[in-house]
Amino acid sequence: MGTVLTVKDLGKAFKERKIISNISFEVNQGEIMAILGPNGAGKSTTIRNIMGIMYPDEGTITFHHRQGETIPRNKIGYLPEERGLYKNVNVMDILLYLAELKDYPLDRAKQRALTYLKKFDLEGKEKVNVEELSKGMGQKVQFIASIIHEPELLILDEPFSGLDPVSQELFKQEIYQLAKNGTSILLSSHQMNLVEEMADRLFMIHRGQKVIYGKMEDVKTEYANFKCTIRGFNNKAALEQLPDINRLEQEGDQSILYLNKDVHPAKWLQQLPADLQIQELTIDRVSLHEIFIDIATDRNLLQEEGDVYA
Amino acid sequence: MHNTKKVAKWEIKRNLKNKTFIIGMFLTPILIVGFMLLGDLFGGSDDDNQETTNVFINDQLAIFSELKQTVESANIPWDLQQTDLTEEEVSNALADTEDTAYLFLNEQNLNQGVVPAYTSEDIAPYFMDQVQVVTGPLQALQIQELGLTEDEKNTLTQGIQIKEITTEELQAQNQTTSETNPMERIVPGAFAGFIMLSIVFTGMAIFQSASQEKKDKIAEIILSSVTPADLMQGKILGYFVLGLLQAVLSISIVLPVVAWKFDLTILEYLLVPELFLYIGIAILGYLLFASIFVGVGATMADVSTAGNFQGMVMMLPFLPFIFIGPVLSDPNGLMAQIGTYIPFTSPGVLLLRLTNLEQWPWMEIGISLIILLLSVWFFMKLAGKIFKIGILMYGKNATPAEIWKWIRA
Repeated sequence: MGTVLTVKDLGKAFKERKIISNISFEVNQGEIMAILGPNGAGKSTTIRNIMGIMYPDEGTITFHHRQGETIPRNKIGYLPEERGLYKNVNVMDILLYLAELKDYPLDRAKQRALTYLKKFDLEGKEKVNVEELSKGMGQKVQFIASIIHEPELLILDEPFSGLDPVSQELFKQEIYQLAKNGTSILLSSHQMNLVEEMADRLFMIHRGQKVIYGKMEDVKTEYANFKCTIRGFNNKAALEQLPDINRLEQEGDQSILYLNKDVHPAKWLQQLPADLQIQELTIDRVSLHEIFIDIATDRNLLQEEGDVYA
Repeated sequence: MHNTKKVAKWEIKRNLKNKTFIIGMFLTPILIVGFMLLGDLFGGSDDDNQETTNVFINDQLAIFSELKQTVESANIPWDLQQTDLTEEEVSNALADTEDTAYLFLNEQNLNQGVVPAYTSEDIAPYFMDQVQVVTGPLQALQIQELGLTEDEKNTLTQGIQIKEITTEELQAQNQTTSETNPMERIVPGAFAGFIMLSIVFTGMAIFQSASQEKKDKIAEIILSSVTPADLMQGKILGYFVLGLLQAVLSISIVLPVVAWKFDLTILEYLLVPELFLYIGIAILGYLLFASIFVGVGATMADVSTAGNFQGMVMMLPFLPFIFIGPVLSDPNGLMAQIGTYIPFTSPGVLLLRLTNLEQWPWMEIGISLIILLLSVWFFMKLAGKIFKIGILMYGKNATPAEIWKWIRA
C-alpha cells in the first residue's frame, strides 16, 4: 500500500486573503481519504490545486510512481463540485470524448461505458441526448465519466450532493468497490454519516487550516467522547453536580450531557442518582457530524482536548 | 498539440451532429444565391423599362437610313423619326414633352461642323454621349464631299490618338503579353474575402461555444484532462475547420451559379499565385478574431447577458465595412493606408486594396502583415490569460476591470 499523492504545506491566497495555508496530507493506494469542512473552508480550492486548475502559491504536490513535474492527468479521475455536461450531444458521445481526452482506448471505453450504464440503471440510454436526462441521471453519467478510464486516483468533490438515497447507496457501493480494487480515492463531502461510514482516514479543514487529520477510528476515539442523552424533567443544577461532565445542554425535557474523555461508560452510569427522572436514556459517542458542526460554528468542543492532532 | 486536435475534432463532430448548425450551413449559400437571383429579377425589369428617347431628325442630307443603321448597331435606345419641323417651330414642339430631341442636318450645319440638338427638359442622362454616334456618318459625308482619294480618306478618318504607356507597363510587356484583365485580381480577391467572411462568421460561434462551456459547467471536467491552452487552441482550430467547411460548401453552391449567370470562366482567374497571399491574409484575419472571440466568450455567462463591452468587441469584424467606400474610391488614399495598419481592419482592407491596385505597395503589405502577425500573437496570449480564469467563473459575467486584472496577473 504505497502513497499515491502527497500534498505538502500547500498555500493559496486570493489578493491578500489566504484561502488555505499549511495543508499537508497523503493519499494511499486503495484507501478512501476524506476531506471535510464547512462551506468555504478551502476544500475545493485544495482539490483544484491538486488538479492543476489553480496554481498554489506555496507548497508542493507530488504524484508518486510518476516521473517529471507534470500532473498525470490520464491517471486521475475528477468529479468537480460544480459540474455539468455538454447539452445537445448524446450520452455515449460525451463519455467517449472524455475517455479520449484521457488517451484511453475507445473500444474498451465503450465496453466500460455500457457496463456502467447498466449498473447505474441507465441501460439503453447511451443514444439519449444529455438534455433529456434528469438531474440524477446526469450525475450518474458524470460519475461514469470520471472513472471510465480506470484512474489510479479518483478525486470526488461532493459526489453525493443532490442524489436520492437509492443513488447515494449505489455510488457508495461503487466507491467501495473501486477502493477495494486498488483505486485511491480522495473524497470531499458534507454528508458526515456517509463519510463516517466510508472513509479510512480523514482530513478536516476549517478556514483554510488543518483541524483534524488521521485515521477514522483514531479520530473517533480521540475526539468522539461519550455523550448521554436523557429525556425527562430534571434540574439543570442537579445534573451539573454529576461527575465527569464536560458540558451540558438542556432543552425542554431533553438534557445532553457531554462526558469527559476518559470516562468509562458503565462505571459512570452506576453513579447516576436514584431520583433522576428517566423516560429514555441513550449513551453513545459524539458523531462526526457533531464534531463537524462544532467546528463549523466555532463552539470548540475540541478545545479542551488539546492539540493532539491539530 | 495532441490534445488540441482532440478538442478540435470534438467541436467539429459536435457541431456537425447538430441540426441547427447543418441547416445554417446550407442556408447561407442558398440565401446568397437567392439574393443574387432576386437582384437579377429587379435588375432585369429595370432593363425593360429603360426609357427610349424620341429623336426627330430634320434630314436634308439624305443620311437618315445610314444614321438609323449606326444607332441600331450601337444599341442605343432611340426611336428615330424623320420630321419636317423647322428650327423656329422646335421650342413649341418640345414644350410638354419628355425624352425628346430634335437634330437638324443640313448643308450649312455640315460645313460649319456644328449640329444643333434641341432637347426637352427631361432627357436621358447619357443623351449627349449617345448623340456623338451621329458624328461618324456625318464626318464620312463631309469627307466624301471633299472628293479625296481613298488613301487620303482613310488617313483622315483614322484620326490621331495619344496612347499612355507607363514604365511598369513597359516592363510588363517585356515579361508577359497580356496582363490587363482586372478579373485576374478581383476574382481571387473576392474569393479570399468570401473565405474570410465565412470563417470569421463561423468563428463567432467560438464565442458561443466558450460561454456555453461555462453555462453547462463542464469546463472543470474538461480541464482535468487538458490544459486551458489546449482547450482554447482546440476550439480555435475546430471552428477554423468548420469555417472552411462552410466556405467550401458555400463556394461549391454559389460558384456554379455565378459562373452561369455572369458567363465567366472563374477557375481560370482563380488559380493564380496571388490567391495564396489572399488566403494567407484571410487566415490571419480569422486567427485574430477567433482569439478575441474565445477570450470574450470565456468572460460571459450567457450570450443574452452580454455587457456593452462584450457587445462592442463582437462588432469588431464589421469594422472593415467602414473602409469599403474610401478604399474603393482611392485604393492608395489616406483612409486606405490607415485601414491597412489597424489590425482589426487590415485583413479586409488589404484584400480590398490588393484587388483594386494595379501596382502592389509591397512595403505597406509587408508592414501590415507584420502588424497582423504580432497582433495575432498578442491577442492569443491575452485570450489565453482571460480564458484560463474566465472559463471557470461559472454563472457570472466578468467586468472589464476584472478582465484587466487577469491580464495583468
